[in-house]
Amino acid sequence: MADITLAALDDMAVHRAKSGDLAALERVYRAYEGTVYTLARRMCRSPEDAEEVMQETFLEVCRSIRKFRGTGPGSLTAWIKRIASSKALIRIRYEKYRETEALQEDGGWAGRRDGDAGLQLDLEAALRQLSDTSRAVVWLHDVEGYTHEEIAEQMGKTVSFSKSQLSRAHARLRKMLGEEAQC
Amino acid sequence: MLRHCTIAELLDLRGGEGSAAVRTHVDECDACRAELDRLHQRVAALKALPSLTPPRDRWPVVRDALTRSRRRRWQRAGGAALAAAAALALMVGIPGVRGAGPDIAIAQEVDELKRESHQLEQVLHEVEQERRVVNGMVLTVIVDLEDRIAVIDAGIATVQTAGPVTAQLRDLWEERVILVNQLVATHVQPAAYAGH
Repeated sequence: MADITLAALDDMAVHRAKSGDLAALERVYRAYEGTVYTLARRMCRSPEDAEEVMQETFLEVCRSIRKFRGTGPGSLTAWIKRIASSKALIRIRYEKYRETEALQEDGGWAGRRDGDAGLQLDLEAALRQLSDTSRAVVWLHDVEGYTHEEIAEQMGKTVSFSKSQLSRAHARLRKMLGEEAQC
Repeated sequence: MLRHCTIAELLDLRGGEGSAAVRTHVDECDACRAELDRLHQRVAALKALPSLTPPRDRWPVVRDALTRSRRRRWQRAGGAALAAAAALALMVGIPGVRGAGPDIAIAQEVDELKRESHQLEQVLHEVEQERRVVNGMVLTVIVDLEDRIAVIDAGIATVQTAGPVTAQLRDLWEERVILVNQLVATHVQPAAYAGH
């Protein structure tokens, strides 16, 4: 998405941003606002929460960029995404959302047909129906490519917790998308 | 394996961690192979979801907050002596030291910051109940943050005692929210925040 803008964000701009130059910091913001908002919006329940996460992320980016030491390609993106996902997870935590989904512990499939094919949603709507935690895990693991170990560390939970949430999320998505077995 | 695979087993397989028994079963079972294909397709569809555009430009808010915090740092750099003199002036009631008088917008900001601080305190309480083991470096960060919050709290108490809501009080609450946020983050994600 932001390939063109990211390409324009050259080393000099990052160097200037590190020195606190507001114009350079704004270039960092412009280059990454879509990336950060997309990540936050996919993880958070509401657009308002996503906007708050985006704002908190860039405040921290601007305050901490002088400490950023990465040099490899994509390291700035990874660093900013890491801050954004941390902020989103903290927000999810203090929203005190209580999981209400009646999910089955074994994570579904196992050849079973649950006869709920009427409940068909598109993927975005189905994603929104997941609990905040499940949605965050599925997004971080399947889209952002985080390992279960990394997700567990970010959430302050165990690897088993992350795996279980991913399994639950897929069971739920499968059901909501009406992906019934054809055999 | 005499039964179909669970989604957890298929996810393990997709992540390269599946057992030999699961792999063999999927090779031989059309239904489980189809389920694994659907899993791959679902993940591909998630990755293909469109990027989103923020509904509002938040840069002005970020820039203003940044400018305010820089101003505060600059003011702090003025030295402890200046701060002590200001606190003394407040205590003895020298007029004009507090700067601008009560302001409704500032009072609303302070209320909002108090709410946010309270929310964060609740999360902090919840996290502290979990009594995680932390290493020495993380503990140092936690103690440092707690010390800084205590200093801010003392400042808030002094300014609040002195009279109506001021920009100084708002700045103190803002600083407090930032520090408690960092404290929560340090408790929840020690590895990520230990370096701060």
